[in-house]
Amino acid sequence: MSAAPEEDISAGRGEPLVVLEGVNKWFGDLHVLQDINVTVNRGEVVVVIGPSGSGKSTLCRAINRLETIDRGAITLDGKPLPQEGKELANLRAEVGMVFQSFNLFAHKTIRENVTLGPIKVRKMSKAKADAKAAELLDRVGIGHQADKYPAQLSGGQQQRVAIARALAMEPKVMLFDEPTSALDPEMIKEVLDVMVDLAEQGMTMIVVTHEMGFARTAADRVLFMADGAVVEENTPEEFFTNPQSERAKDFLGKILKH
Amino acid sequence: MRTMKLRAAAATVLLTALSGTLAACGDAGSEGEGVDVQAEEVEDGKFEEGSRMAELAEAGSITIGVKYDQPGLGFKSATDDIPTGFDVEIAKLLVADLGIDPSDTSAVTYEETISDNREPYLEAGRVDLVLASYSITDDRRQVVGQTGPYFITGQQILVGADSDVESIDDLVGETVCSVSGSTSLQNVEDAGAVGAPADTYSQCAEDVLNGTVEAMTTDGSILLGLAAQNEGELKVVGPEFSEERIGVGYSQDYPEMCEWINGVLTEAYEDGSWAEAFEATLGGDDVETPEPPALDECPAA
Amino acid sequence: MNVVLDNAGDIALAFIYTLSLFVVAGVLSLIFGALLAAARVGPVAVLRKAAAVYVMLIRNTPLLIVIIFFRFAGPKIGLTFGFVDIRVADIRLNNLYAACAVGLIVYTSSFVCEALRSGINAVPLGQAEAARAIGLPFGGVMSQVIMPQAMRHALPPLASVQIALLKNTTVCGALGVFEAFARMRGLTNDFASARTEIFLAFALIFVVLVEVLSFVAYRLERRWRIA
Repeated sequence: MSAAPEEDISAGRGEPLVVLEGVNKWFGDLHVLQDINVTVNRGEVVVVIGPSGSGKSTLCRAINRLETIDRGAITLDGKPLPQEGKELANLRAEVGMVFQSFNLFAHKTIRENVTLGPIKVRKMSKAKADAKAAELLDRVGIGHQADKYPAQLSGGQQQRVAIARALAMEPKVMLFDEPTSALDPEMIKEVLDVMVDLAEQGMTMIVVTHEMGFARTAADRVLFMADGAVVEENTPEEFFTNPQSERAKDFLGKILKH
Repeated sequence: MRTMKLRAAAATVLLTALSGTLAACGDAGSEGEGVDVQAEEVEDGKFEEGSRMAELAEAGSITIGVKYDQPGLGFKSATDDIPTGFDVEIAKLLVADLGIDPSDTSAVTYEETISDNREPYLEAGRVDLVLASYSITDDRRQVVGQTGPYFITGQQILVGADSDVESIDDLVGETVCSVSGSTSLQNVEDAGAVGAPADTYSQCAEDVLNGTVEAMTTDGSILLGLAAQNEGELKVVGPEFSEERIGVGYSQDYPEMCEWINGVLTEAYEDGSWAEAFEATLGGDDVETPEPPALDECPAA
Repeated sequence: MNVVLDNAGDIALAFIYTLSLFVVAGVLSLIFGALLAAARVGPVAVLRKAAAVYVMLIRNTPLLIVIIFFRFAGPKIGLTFGFVDIRVADIRLNNLYAACAVGLIVYTSSFVCEALRSGINAVPLGQAEAARAIGLPFGGVMSQVIMPQAMRHALPPLASVQIALLKNTTVCGALGVFEAFARMRGLTNDFASARTEIFLAFALIFVVLVEVLSFVAYRLERRWRIA
């Protein structure tokens, strides 16, 4: 059964999965992405950090084309991102996305949130989709709340459902756009635990976050962005103990004081 | 001018309708702006002390409810000071009998009444009399006074000039237009046709002209006016299939008005002013003037 | 109340016309209004513009003028709806009925469109993004995620639009359909002695019908409201 993704996703570990080459984007005069060259390999967990406005969210959203880019190329598993249309929809099905504000479908139950994609996009039978949803919801610890609506759940629970919803599509890569920034502090851990689990199972992940703890424990690599550019790229150990750039030192100095 | 021409044309069509030949149209004679009715001298004691007539004669002013949109009966164009038509002519006779000059617009107000507001206007005293193609019915007599009739007319059918329809019986299942709320509309429904309510008679005529409805129906006198306006395109057909007894409405607060109205009408029948009024409006040079209808008895006081 | 009871058959028939106008125009204006709304928020610029112009023109024109257009200007340009002639028992749906119904649909659609558009605008952008992110195409995003939520937001204004439509059907009473308003005028004219009762009876029936509509809308609102 395909519901054992840890085996599938570690296949071909180490090969390039997401490749960004010379990616540029402007918002009017603002150069929000500047010559980004990044390669994320299969099974790798890459954490993107940086001050707000550094372009890290835009970078994340560009990978499934929620943001378009003006120049450069993004390929996923060797194929360039398609233009709008059916093909793009198919590509997005391969890329799981978790948003800062969860964005669970407010009018659907937790179970329906998780089964919508498999049924409508993957054309899975309802019974099979329900079974898969039950398993995924159990895995993120929400199994007993499947019949509730999103608004009846706490933020942490909603975000875990959002992760299950993305996983239900059996994505090749998971994008996390500041997944814990909208959460109350006591709920952050429950979400990070799920993400750490996922990382340990070998899921390819690109995570935009301010959670340095997660970066230290789970990341294979840290990208530090500032002013739309990737300023530093290193292992977490190296980055946190021995940052090279002034911008990184300054940034770490500010956040590690707290 | 338009009114005069229309009236003349109406007279012509009426003639042809009466003689049974609808094809030909003769020359229309010209007429004046209705009959010039002079106010009568009111001698002391003509009206009983305290009667409504005495009050009106004393005040020297009166308000009459008439129609503004029915050529031949009650019609007022934008340029007219006083509406024209048979209803208005009869009203003038009543006004004159009170010693009021019917052409003095500061003394006589010809207020427009539509079908829906004739009773409320009488009940509220907003008008003193109603002469607005006002059919006498038992139901209306429960709320207002009605006497007469001073004219009897009937419902006929107006169709396109090339139509085969000859009577209401040919219109079963067809769409027939008439003014919303009118008895005519009910009558066509009862006859098995589909009633199409409209706001005005001219709107119905328009629908007949462009073929949206098969026919329209209302009092024959109104249809003749419309047919005259659209000569060669519309024609009036069929026997009258209802009888409308047109009378004078007054308030039940003043039952004494009934005998007075009947008196004035009887006098008009006898001295020829009723016939004169008919000839000046519905009739014409070539139209035979009918016998005046018999008046209803006034209810016992 | 005798007049009302004596004419109960005619009154019932009149309200069948009223309700049939309401149902026909209500359903079709919802469909057409939804298409207009989709055009207004959709990705095709020409359709966006056309829908906006339609709404601007029709919504700013009095209903009477819209219906009169189909009743009187229509026949002049050959648009007579002569092909419409449906007979069900005593009910006759003829060309005049069709012209009035089309006028009501054209008019009401513009309000439905705007009610739905406000509903769509009330759905957070994140909902569409999340729907796109799981791979739904535009149609799926709209039908599965945006429209169901937009309907929920648009329900109160949509209910108002439909209630207004029910009452607007009376305009047809002067334009060729023997519905409740025309029937009421017939009765008040024939039975001057019972005017107050007739008015009250018709007003009461309308109040009851609108109350039923409001109740349905309220129940839907309750049912669709989530926690």
